[in-house]
Amino acid sequence: METRAKTRAQVRTLGGVAVIEVDGDLTPEAREEVEAAHRRITTAGVRKVIISFRPDAYINSGGIAIIINIAIAGTRAGQTIRLVQPSEHFQKIFTMVGLRQYVEIFSSEADALAGF
Amino acid sequence: MEDEVRTIRLQLPSRLGYERVAMDAAGAAAKLVGFHRGRVEDLRTAVAEACVNAMEHAHRFNAAMTVVVALTIEDDSLQIDVVDQGEGMPEVVETPDLARKLAGEQEARGWGMFLIKSLMDEVRFNVRSELGNVTRMIIRLEPEDIAPGGATAASRAAASLG
Repeated sequence: METRAKTRAQVRTLGGVAVIEVDGDLTPEAREEVEAAHRRITTAGVRKVIISFRPDAYINSGGIAIIINIAIAGTRAGQTIRLVQPSEHFQKIFTMVGLRQYVEIFSSEADALAGF
Repeated sequence: MEDEVRTIRLQLPSRLGYERVAMDAAGAAAKLVGFHRGRVEDLRTAVAEACVNAMEHAHRFNAAMTVVVALTIEDDSLQIDVVDQGEGMPEVVETPDLARKLAGEQEARGWGMFLIKSLMDEVRFNVRSELGNVTRMIIRLEPEDIAPGGATAASRAAASLG
């Protein structure tokens, strides 16, 4: 499976909000890329963070662990984190594991940015 | 599907990424039975987690060890057996607790079995077979699970369910 595209995590800033755009799947193989992007914005002192996933991204239990690690680090840094997850299935999965109690989940980036 | 072969078997190396082959096969089989998209996605996630569990915990990612996935299609259900050569799951597995994970009292990982049990209608771990240790998952076609304009099997199932 070496031919699979590597997941990229690019950071954009919109006003005081940093958007981590996850381009690809969220599995343990993406951990360093995504957590490194979050570390960069944390070091820069950003307090409002949006993590955005593609509608067709595959997220497994290892990917959920990455989000949890970011939520832990973000809480320590005083961040508010919002997730953009267009897939109803993964919105359901995030709800099942209890993530909605700690991060807000939106269907689109425009919705996540509104009032942030 | 009378008189047809109802079981499809896959053999996957224990290497991350190959669980997607099983996901796609299971998803295709679920569509054949007539499940709507949401249930197909549930099944894909559960199958992926079971395969990764087998590759990681039973086979330690030894690519030479194969995970067997058997998909048995019935008119109103789908049974998925994920077979590995390990010793089986521990009898007691700590229930994942997000609050404890966020507090650093549990590892962030450890959601696989929880997701499998939450998403499937029936799950049995540590089933012993001549092929090895089996994780058996069953997803049943309830009226609310049938895809719009679903497959013939789905229509039959709906009729039989009244």
